[in-house]
Amino acid sequence: MTDTIASEWWKVRTVRSTYWLLATVGAVFAVGCLSTVLMVADWDTASPSAKEAFPSADMSPLVLPFVQFCAGAFGAFALTSEYGSGMIRTTLTTVPRRGLLFTAKALVVAGLTVATGLVLTFAMLGGAGVIAGDRPAPIQPWPSLADGVPSALASAVVLTVTAIVGFGLGALLRSAAGALVTLTGLLFVLPVAATFLPADWSRPVGALTLNNLGPQLAGEVGDPVLSPVGAALVLGGYVLLALGAGAFSVLRRDA
Amino acid sequence: MCSSARSVSVVVVIEVRELTKRYGSALAVDRLSFTVKPGHVTGFLGPNGAGKSTTMRAVLGLDAPTSGEALINGRHYARSPHPMHEVGALLDAGAVHGGRTAANHLLCLARSNGIGRARVTAVLEQVGLGGVARKRVAGFSLGMKQRLGIAAALLGDPEVLLFDEPVNGLDPEGIRWIRELMRSLADEGRTVLVSSHLMSEMALTAHRVLVVGRGRLIVDTTIEELEQRYRRDVFVRSPDDRELARVLEAEGARVETPPDGGLSVHGLDAPRISELAFGAGILLHQLTPRSASLEDAYLELTDESVEYRAEGAAR
Repeated sequence: MTDTIASEWWKVRTVRSTYWLLATVGAVFAVGCLSTVLMVADWDTASPSAKEAFPSADMSPLVLPFVQFCAGAFGAFALTSEYGSGMIRTTLTTVPRRGLLFTAKALVVAGLTVATGLVLTFAMLGGAGVIAGDRPAPIQPWPSLADGVPSALASAVVLTVTAIVGFGLGALLRSAAGALVTLTGLLFVLPVAATFLPADWSRPVGALTLNNLGPQLAGEVGDPVLSPVGAALVLGGYVLLALGAGAFSVLRRDA
Repeated sequence: MCSSARSVSVVVVIEVRELTKRYGSALAVDRLSFTVKPGHVTGFLGPNGAGKSTTMRAVLGLDAPTSGEALINGRHYARSPHPMHEVGALLDAGAVHGGRTAANHLLCLARSNGIGRARVTAVLEQVGLGGVARKRVAGFSLGMKQRLGIAAALLGDPEVLLFDEPVNGLDPEGIRWIRELMRSLADEGRTVLVSSHLMSEMALTAHRVLVVGRGRLIVDTTIEELEQRYRRDVFVRSPDDRELARVLEAEGARVETPPDGGLSVHGLDAPRISELAFGAGILLHQLTPRSASLEDAYLELTDESVEYRAEGAAR
């Protein structure tokens, strides 16, 4: 297993897409910081009544959707780059045990996303704290930095689950285009579509989308549909479904 | 069943039994059975679409057989404990991620089996790609990719080697190189199975040939036997053709007279013809046993089973 993980890790390190995705995450974070700086500068010159109406300096609502897409794409590329080039057949001659290969790939995808996700979400937490300085709520997102930790952890979890979902889609569809289109549907179309559902449906369906599970997992939503435990269970369901369908495709179908 | 195969003195390394593979309604391999033994190069011959690649993929566990099985050392390759030390394969030279350098591509494969960087450098040197180890594979020619694929197959120093059309895209020097490589691998006691659609190539490399067409085994024989089987006639020239023909026919030979002179003798071998001529005091100017070329033999064998043929192409 260690050898297979070492091999998969080397694969991730030696393709350009990994670095492009990391660079994109960095760029989106920079944009998030810049827009927060501008917002805080605006707040400083606003009237007292306008100050009350400001949103918080937390940049994650702006940054996370982009990064989520990057995470999903990263997961998908782990398999589609092999199926697309035919490399998978070379890989499977060197690692013919497909379950082993699938597990090693999933662990590498999850591991790198957890690490990147934690660095990013804590950088956003720290960044918002630094930029908001000692200004009061509502521009100040958290009473203290420690109060923002559950939210940062929850975001990192959701990013990782998204990467696994992308990985499962890559395994199932074997094409980068197919996986990315489906991922776009899940991340960007479904949440919007949910708002068009009848009132009784739109809230519960919306609550189940990957974008909305993070705040519920952190317990940051007033009057939530799902408790943190409920949100964790739904996220677990995403992981099980993605890995189950992906494993079935990789293990059972001809390479 | 395996134990009986193993108890005989010659070890069977690759064993394909009643292998059938269907893709939808297309039958790619049809109850194919054969064995491959170590110590020499076995050629796997057939026209395009004969099922060679499908069979190789089944042997490697990449495609699941519809029925039947393909075993390496008596078990399914998917259960091999040390895959790269057991089997090295080059199926499709293009099956690489173009964004990686040659060295990194091999390192990805090597690491999965605990093989170190030194071995990667060694095989790159061995196949003549030492100078481009740090170049991206996307810029490689087909011939260079073939060499890279062969390097990958050699990484684990395997006992069994499968090469699917390895000479495609190689220049004459490269073709000679791979021919010698395959022979030396076999001479070391390894099992080498190499597919090709060119008889001429196999005649120079292989000891044994498996000829397949439309997914079925047509012939399993040695190159030598194939040449014997397709021996046609003995061509004789003599200043006294007519008398010689009479003598030979009296011995039961069938003699034809080609328009450009000489005699085409069937049913007697060259030494016997020479004896009879000598006995009858007839001078011989030429005495040539003729066999159909292996190429002709191959075309005749596979004629029925050619899947794709140009309209009106000469047979």
